[in-house]
Amino acid sequence: MFRHLSLIFRNSLRNRRRSLLTIVSIAVSLCLLGLLVAIYRAFFFAEATPDQALRLVTRHRVSLANPLPASYMQQIKQVPGVKEAMIFQWFGGTYKDNRDPANMFARFGVEAEKFGIVNPEYKLSDSEREAFIKEPTACIVGRKTAARHNMKLGDRITIIGDIYPVTLEFVLRGIYSGPADNESLIFHYKYLNESLTGEMRDTIGTFFIRMERTDDANTISKTIDDMFRNSPAQTKTETEQAFGLSFLSFLGDVKLILLTICAAVTFTILLVSGNTMAMSVRERVREVGVLKTLGFTNGAVLWLLVGEAIIIALIGGALGVLLASGLCAWMRSLPSMFADLSQLRVTAPVAAICLLVAAMIGLVSSFIPAWGASRRPIIDALKYSD
Amino acid sequence: MSNVVIQANNLTKEYVRAEFRVTALDDANLEVHQGEFIALMGPSGSGKSTLLHLMAAMDRPSSGNISVFGQNLQALSDAEIARWRNTHIGFVFQSFNLIPVLTAMENVELPLKLTKLNKTQRREQAKRALELVGLGDRLGHTPRQLSGGQEQRVAIARAIVTDPDVILADEPTGNLDAASARDVLTLLGRLNKEFNKTLIMVTHDPGAAKTASKIRYLEKGKLLPEGQKPAEY
Repeated sequence: MFRHLSLIFRNSLRNRRRSLLTIVSIAVSLCLLGLLVAIYRAFFFAEATPDQALRLVTRHRVSLANPLPASYMQQIKQVPGVKEAMIFQWFGGTYKDNRDPANMFARFGVEAEKFGIVNPEYKLSDSEREAFIKEPTACIVGRKTAARHNMKLGDRITIIGDIYPVTLEFVLRGIYSGPADNESLIFHYKYLNESLTGEMRDTIGTFFIRMERTDDANTISKTIDDMFRNSPAQTKTETEQAFGLSFLSFLGDVKLILLTICAAVTFTILLVSGNTMAMSVRERVREVGVLKTLGFTNGAVLWLLVGEAIIIALIGGALGVLLASGLCAWMRSLPSMFADLSQLRVTAPVAAICLLVAAMIGLVSSFIPAWGASRRPIIDALKYSD
Repeated sequence: MSNVVIQANNLTKEYVRAEFRVTALDDANLEVHQGEFIALMGPSGSGKSTLLHLMAAMDRPSSGNISVFGQNLQALSDAEIARWRNTHIGFVFQSFNLIPVLTAMENVELPLKLTKLNKTQRREQAKRALELVGLGDRLGHTPRQLSGGQEQRVAIARAIVTDPDVILADEPTGNLDAASARDVLTLLGRLNKEFNKTLIMVTHDPGAAKTASKIRYLEKGKLLPEGQKPAEY
């Protein structure tokens, strides 16, 4: 069968403009598909890092918008298997101007002295860490954000609260480097709490818990949630990865949205490709008669026509994968608006899925016209005029 | 009977077009011997090409039977017929029918891709066939870079490259100027005389038919008895 590969390649280049347009349309569609599959993988299949796997997040059972009393901390810390528990409070607010996406980076209030234990993957020099812990108005920022805004140690950073009716003035004391997040601004929760009055004071959104062993995740989660089962603010404890996904689910059923778009993209390109392949085969009917006269069987002719479509689709698919890789790299460099995109990559399995889809598009779009042409009697095929 | 190559008995081919039944070939009987060069002549629609197509197993008869080298063609499946055709039949079309994206060499090599020969052997054999038809210096030319006569010679090289027993030509000079037609007929004559190939050629041209050793006429689907011809001839 592979003896005919050279003929298949030549035939693919027969109508260069049409082949090129088909390749481009498949490439664009497969790029979109590759990107969506990469997003899907990054959100739902990315493996937790060892540090992430050792962390649990406790929040209000109803939703993130419902606060928990900060006093839960002491009880949580007593649960067997918990190495450390830390307040982790999202702040929001505005840095300079919210209309500029570059200013959209996350801001969290933490307990600075525990931060290195609960989140050890955030790398800081000892002097920076010490300065951060010592000074109540100190903050640290990720290296990407620091680079984007040309921030230097000692700079003053003002964040105007929106949900929290306070304006916080920070002094930059450290620039951290993390394996995933390199964009957040981390400050002392105490500084925020002391600025608040009324109901907002002494309430928090989440506790981040560092476990001794990953195997204890289920037991610890259950123990914590059971502990507050009969209190006015019930808790929900889950792994950091599951928490990230639940946060994402605020956008809707992301899985369903992604899969629906993937299916729509594939189906649309299948129709476009099917039309092109049908035209291509129709132009070739007379030649099919010639090939069969020379001794090519129906199967060999079918393989020639389908193989040509598959090759065109695979070239388009490969280009699409390359484009999607480039887009993923670009998106990783963007500020994280609502999700961690650091895992967004066209991995080998994602590329394989895209190429498989491309091959299937080639096969399915060409099979029916190719089957019809290959079964056409020689005399009919020789008399055929387009 | 030992040197009978093609034996057609009571061969009939009918086509059904809408509610009409058209008899393209009516009860034809023909015996072709090894090394014969037969020209089939007759007016348009007389059934010449239909008879040729049946001999090449490109079509199946409505009734009657045809055997080539003792092989009853009706008994073969489509795939077997395709393989049989590749081995035993060389076919030359009026309109050359070369594959436009392939060079002369690649066009001629095409039928050999269905054999067990390796690439080097295929290339050597295709080159020899092209040299035989006088196109040894046009191996890398695509059909667009060749004249009509040269294209037809490439088509003849493609028809003989598998060393078939029978060469069937459907108006091989129909699309050529006089000089090119003469070259092609000379070539076909050589294949018959020097290589003892059995040749059956459909033609409208009485001059071309004279190249053949025997002329058989058809009229209104009937193969006329040897020596008999339609009134207009």
